[in-house]
Amino acid sequence: MEDKKEEKKFTTISIPTALAEKIKKRIEGTGFHSLSAYVTYVLRELLASMEEEEASEALTKEEEEKIKERLRALGYLD
Amino acid sequence: MVNYIVSGLERSGTSMMMQILYRGGAPVAFDNSRKPDYHNPKGYFELEGGKIINRLMEGTFPFEKYDGKFIKITAYGLKFLPKGNYKIIYMVRNIDEILDSMEKMSGPINREEERPLLEKLNRITIKLMDEREDIDYIIVRYNDVIKNPRKEIERVNEFLGGMLNVSEAVKAVDPKLYRNVRER
Repeated sequence: MEDKKEEKKFTTISIPTALAEKIKKRIEGTGFHSLSAYVTYVLRELLASMEEEEASEALTKEEEEKIKERLRALGYLD
Repeated sequence: MVNYIVSGLERSGTSMMMQILYRGGAPVAFDNSRKPDYHNPKGYFELEGGKIINRLMEGTFPFEKYDGKFIKITAYGLKFLPKGNYKIIYMVRNIDEILDSMEKMSGPINREEERPLLEKLNRITIKLMDEREDIDYIIVRYNDVIKNPRKEIERVNEFLGGMLNVSEAVKAVDPKLYRNVRER
């Protein structure tokens, strides 16, 4: 029963062996006790920074102009 | 008053969704100012030749006239929606398929420049719908509609409170018109 619960909490992701070896070397002597712990940490950090960036993003004036240009070309704007 | 909107980037399947709704018996508002063509053989299902955005930017679009009806407003136009009560079906599609289709309509596109721009516009628009309390929305993937129309249309119908005849609506999906394919 416990095992089944554990199965639902984690999933397996494949990464190239060479990359795994590189990461193993990098985490030697750090507080990370496994490859999975380190990869999970890095991915969480990456996602958080992407979400933060996306949450504050807005179109620049130049981007708005480019969008309008495209809309005009497609016949959606005068 | 409720204004129903079909939205998404241009060429993301907004016309297909309007056809689905129309065929399924939903009240759909459109005129014939933009005729069907090679790019949309079943029609564009738009008002004012698709140029509603101009009216929205000016603040002159008469939403009250379309109370309870579906209208098509592409993604950029949503930022100009006045305060109201909206239910939005937002179409998403593989950006390269969208660019393929746009190129056929309007000529060569600098993809390295426009791909991230369209992705950003999509993200910002979805965030806007998320943040506005007067907007209730559902995201529908174009490719999912093509692959499994009944399942997706049932999901849309649930969002709309069951106003569609799903069996009829499914007939509007014509996989032969799915010409700019990158995903399967």
